[in-house]
Amino acid sequence: MFLKVQMPWNVIIPADSLDAKGLMLKKAIVIRLMDEFACKKAAKDLGYLMAVTALESIGEGRVRQNTGDVLFPVVFTGITFKMFRGEIQQGVVHKVLKHGVFLRCGPVQNIYLSHVKMPDYHYVPGESGMFMNDKHSKIEKDVVIRFIVIGTKWMEAEREFQALVSLEGDYLGPVS
Amino acid sequence: MSGEEEENAADLKIGEEFLKAKCLMNCEVALILEHKYEQLQQMSDDPMNQVSQVFEKSLQYVKRFSRYKNPDAVRQVREILSRYQLAEFELCVLGNLCPETVEEAIAMVPSIKTKGRAHDDDAIERMLNDLSLIKKFE
Repeated sequence: MFLKVQMPWNVIIPADSLDAKGLMLKKAIVIRLMDEFACKKAAKDLGYLMAVTALESIGEGRVRQNTGDVLFPVVFTGITFKMFRGEIQQGVVHKVLKHGVFLRCGPVQNIYLSHVKMPDYHYVPGESGMFMNDKHSKIEKDVVIRFIVIGTKWMEAEREFQALVSLEGDYLGPVS
Repeated sequence: MSGEEEENAADLKIGEEFLKAKCLMNCEVALILEHKYEQLQQMSDDPMNQVSQVFEKSLQYVKRFSRYKNPDAVRQVREILSRYQLAEFELCVLGNLCPETVEEAIAMVPSIKTKGRAHDDDAIERMLNDLSLIKKFE
């Protein structure tokens, strides 16, 4: 689910980027925030960090003694993406193995759907492999799947979320 | 795997801060991210360098999974769904998945039928009909 959330953040602006005009400061802050999002990618409690939509407030800058940079406490509104247990979502198959498939959904690259959670589908070996059921519905690379999220995990080292999903439920499975 | 506070979106148990947060449908995010991308194109020669992987993958995803492309249609979807006393989260799941029948809608968002909420099948059917009219005129 994409969320629009208001968040506090401490933005550090290098001394040489500071300008007397207020407008340049806002731009510098937004650019710093986007750079930090690009580095951090995601946060455990917020999800994936995507974009800044508005700067709500900029607090008084505090000069950092050793570096001469200025720290501004800001409040901004941004867009994040998070998957919730019990949520129904749509993703695309990018890898098929005989015990399950891997899906992608939005910025989440590592979603696993085990064969155990694909009721009535069985593995069909072949050049790329796929899962099929009695009605010839196929789960193979690039197919769109509607699934339910059964668990999510924050991987601190990789700074990413992984998810476990299932097709157990009505109206779940490949979407044409 | 996380199971803190027994999170379960099917029952709308997603943590208070998320219940209060505004959720966005894929089609709304597509309009926002496309606009951001255009802004970046104006600011630099190579916008793709400026955007993160997260931004790029998300933009690709929402463009592909937006049921409505026209900004007026997107506004109408939000407006119509807002008339039905849904939580933000529920509204966006419905706007994203566009269920065609009442049974499908309840399967996608089980919480609309729980807790003695006033969502009878007729109301859900009316809502789905209103949504399908927008698709026709997009």
